[in-house]
Amino acid sequence: MSLTRRDFMKLSSISGLAVVGLHGGLPALSAFAQDPKSNRASALGKWMATTCQGCTSWCPVQVLVLNGRAIKVRGNEHAHATHGTACVRAHMGIQQVYDPDRIKVPMKRTNPKKGKAEDPDFVPISWDEAINMIADKMMELRNNGEPEQFVLFRGRYTYMRDIIYGALPKVFGSPNGISHSAICAEAEKFGPYYTEGFWNYRDYDLEKTRYVLCWGADPLASNRQVPHATSVWGEVRDRATIAVVDPRLSSTAAKAHEWLPVIPGEDGALAVAFAHVILREGLWNKAFVGDFVDGENRFKAGETVSPETFQDKYTHGLVGWWNLELKDKTSEWAAERTGIPAEQIVRVARGFADAAPKAISWLSPGSSMQVRGGYTAMATHALNGLVSSVDNEGGTLRAAKIPANSTPDFEPYYDEIAKKGTKNKKMDQRGYLQFPALNAGKSGGGVVTNNAADAILSDDPYPIKMAIGYWNNFVFSCSGAERWEKALVKLPFFVHITTHASEMSHFADIVLPAAHHMFEKYGFIKSKQNMVAYASLNVPILKPMWDVKMDETEIPWMIAEKLAEKGFPNLLDYYKTEFKDPETGKIAANGMEFSIFALKHLTQPLWDSRHENYGKYGDAPKGWQDLVEKGVWNSNKYPYRKNWDKFGTKTNKFEFYSETLKEALEKHAVKHKVSVNEVLEACKYTARDELAFVPHYEEPYRWGNEKEYPFVFFEHRSRLNREGRSANCTWYQSHKDADPGDERWDDVAKINPADGRTLGLHGGERIRIVSPVGKIECHVKLWEGVRPGTVGKCFGQGHWSYGSVAALDFKKRIPRGGNNNVILPADYERLSGSTARHGGVTRVKIEKL
Amino acid sequence: MARFAMVIDLHKCVGCAACDIACKIENNLDADVHWSDHFTETRGSFPNVRYQYVPTLCNHCEDAPCVKVCPTKAMFKNGDGIVLHNADTCIGCRSCQLACPYNVIYFNEEQQHNMYRNDQPLMPGLTASGKEIADKAKAPIPNYNPDREKTYQGIRQKGIVEKCTFCDHRVKEGKQPACVEACPPEARIFGDLDDRKSKVNQLLGKHTSRQLLKSKGTRPKVFYIRDF
Repeated sequence: MSLTRRDFMKLSSISGLAVVGLHGGLPALSAFAQDPKSNRASALGKWMATTCQGCTSWCPVQVLVLNGRAIKVRGNEHAHATHGTACVRAHMGIQQVYDPDRIKVPMKRTNPKKGKAEDPDFVPISWDEAINMIADKMMELRNNGEPEQFVLFRGRYTYMRDIIYGALPKVFGSPNGISHSAICAEAEKFGPYYTEGFWNYRDYDLEKTRYVLCWGADPLASNRQVPHATSVWGEVRDRATIAVVDPRLSSTAAKAHEWLPVIPGEDGALAVAFAHVILREGLWNKAFVGDFVDGENRFKAGETVSPETFQDKYTHGLVGWWNLELKDKTSEWAAERTGIPAEQIVRVARGFADAAPKAISWLSPGSSMQVRGGYTAMATHALNGLVSSVDNEGGTLRAAKIPANSTPDFEPYYDEIAKKGTKNKKMDQRGYLQFPALNAGKSGGGVVTNNAADAILSDDPYPIKMAIGYWNNFVFSCSGAERWEKALVKLPFFVHITTHASEMSHFADIVLPAAHHMFEKYGFIKSKQNMVAYASLNVPILKPMWDVKMDETEIPWMIAEKLAEKGFPNLLDYYKTEFKDPETGKIAANGMEFSIFALKHLTQPLWDSRHENYGKYGDAPKGWQDLVEKGVWNSNKYPYRKNWDKFGTKTNKFEFYSETLKEALEKHAVKHKVSVNEVLEACKYTARDELAFVPHYEEPYRWGNEKEYPFVFFEHRSRLNREGRSANCTWYQSHKDADPGDERWDDVAKINPADGRTLGLHGGERIRIVSPVGKIECHVKLWEGVRPGTVGKCFGQGHWSYGSVAALDFKKRIPRGGNNNVILPADYERLSGSTARHGGVTRVKIEKL
Repeated sequence: MARFAMVIDLHKCVGCAACDIACKIENNLDADVHWSDHFTETRGSFPNVRYQYVPTLCNHCEDAPCVKVCPTKAMFKNGDGIVLHNADTCIGCRSCQLACPYNVIYFNEEQQHNMYRNDQPLMPGLTASGKEIADKAKAPIPNYNPDREKTYQGIRQKGIVEKCTFCDHRVKEGKQPACVEACPPEARIFGDLDDRKSKVNQLLGKHTSRQLLKSKGTRPKVFYIRDF
């Protein structure tokens, strides 16, 4: 007689005992201990601190671990930045770590043919066999004098990253640590750098602000401070006016005072029109920006101003900006281009400026990662300069210092092969004429991630014979996805470190199962929210169920050990020598010890009272164990106006006329023996001469002609996306309607009902969306939250691999929904090197199926 | 003896569904069972559009029709105003579902959590199967929360109904319901209407409040204040 579940449940709750190995094979329940003395039966279990990396807010969280199982997630009470809260994403980590579709063991490809249509015929192999094959391939490259033909592709990382992304390729002899940053948001950093001298994301003083102007930013749903923003938004809305510029009625737009549904790609017109209104009406902040010497406002529509009449204070070049660009950019002019009524433009500009200096102009990838978005990024950030909210109370801020250690220098471990190999230029063509990638002023200073595919295909600058990629999935996450399929078919040997058999794994020779970064790995991140900078530890709070290894530490250690066995010990020497246990001086004996020692070393100033920086910049935990338990180190509060005297630009002022950009462009032009104008042309910009040095309007660059492709396509993010990795979670699917306009268990393309009527669609039909580079199929949704003439679709679904939920049919490689990156062309904001997936970069047509 | 109720502040709510997922985690719910749920509305026409997200859950009505129609008294109200369900005496007749105007009662046609009984790995020898995960976890689902067993079946069996219990198992211990704890802006406030000083009473005294389907006369105890 087998026990029914009902009886079993009764039994276990009465006895309160853990029941093991019942006849009939029913799983044992780990039950709770009942305290007979009081009625307070309590589940044993411990809340353990770790870090959620579902998005790049990177939040300290806690997980309740009971009998080695993760039960639930909450914020970390010790985290000032997040008010001890966690957003919805964090909870889905549980479904990720326990996903049945996770890879359990290393796999080796047995079908030598590669392609989307080819089954890799993976077989399980041991770690030793896998690492041995990898090390053999690497030694082959070394022995042939071609170490630079090795690439390390970095995906989702912690600040242990330089162990695998910096040291491994370089000590080996390759310059090619290639990050994903350019498909993240580099163009967004371009704006603040070439105005404020700050190549980074900003923090925001939401507590004090009186106006929040979001440019595609959707803080209630996505990067970069979701728990903070969601916690305080109600109060912010009571104190401040919120205006959201977004082609879609996002969550934040739905809870704002003003929605400006800009035509995709026309954000720049709006930004310069705001600036025009602010100057024309004399609303700029005089104490910060400067003023006319005689106090008379000469900014009149259509009229140039002579520079001598204006005295700059903390800024540079306002008159130059007006004369070159702003004088004609009236609200009426902008209304025609943006689809935003002139009176709303004026109202928002006035409201924004009236709130000065407590007015935030909040950039996002949406308004920056456009083909011609570099100048839009500058224009949107320049608004902060106009109202003096830069680095100021109620405004946009940098971050307090986190005195973590940087990775120990590995150059001393280069042998002659490595010295020679690392002198090669990086393989992604950064710094080429058409890819200035002017990270922090340097030509080729930034990565051009998506172009790595083309570089592989063209063997330019040189062939690539081997790559290791970790926590990335470029075949899914890069626009012009098909090129990555082709590149990986060509790439002779590819190793993928991943939790799931994703699209990129499909082309791999070896797949190594990765420890989950929230539950199974040692690492740490640095981030900022709520004017607090913080370091948060990733801690292996669960014993992994499967034979996984930590991506950034255990795997490179194993490779280093094998390389040493094969006669190349330098990498292992580096790991052993430079990452001793800071407390005992012990040398790591294995990958796990290495992981712990490395984490202790890199975080040492935060927890070690012997260190000179201990306690100086924030928390003073009582040693390493205390930091591990608390999970987070909080900085002191960020002080306002620290940088006003030395912004870090060429003039050290906030530049409306960017001498910094002028210098960077000129250097790049000289390097290629061309003029700056020729650089701009190669980068698809229309500006010439001095206009190139000021924020200005550029007409959006779109693929496809209007006649053949009548709709402008734009994409957006999901509050449930754990980057590209959560579509396999059933909770993702069953809550997808939490993204405004979207539907459960579906991946819809949203069009305005007016367009639905024209197309004869009622909603729910299957459609095909076709762009000049590809096509996808999905269901259509009629929704008033998007502008007629546009198609808005969320990123994150359309997986044809990854798992049984993310894909509609994993074996047949049929996607659930459609991957936007199949129809988005591979184009770039070239001045930053960033991928351009926004701004309505492609037009599309809709076909009924 | 209390009279528990919930106030939902739509001004603070951002529509993130953290409450929905936290509820699933607390109560071992299957993916498509939404004890904590929501509906959304989009009104107007572009560009004059208003979107709102309204969290919903069992209203623990003062005059609960589900309790009235239950033939076995499996659906009952406890002394603290919480409408609870006895899994042992439920016969799965589903009268409560018909009676409830809010559609917050779920019926388990199948055994829950099929995913963790599936023994077919996606890639045999290479990925796990749901059953393998559950076996390794020594639990019916890997993140099984045994706390739920204190007052209700940990995972409700096939053939009976189930619904939100205001996390009575937590409330008994002086804790907040899981949905309340999970909400970052603290938009959900739970408390005792019979306690003059309770936060729910403070809010109901300060703000105009609404209830869903008030005209049905069930006297729901979930109140909405302000606007999304």
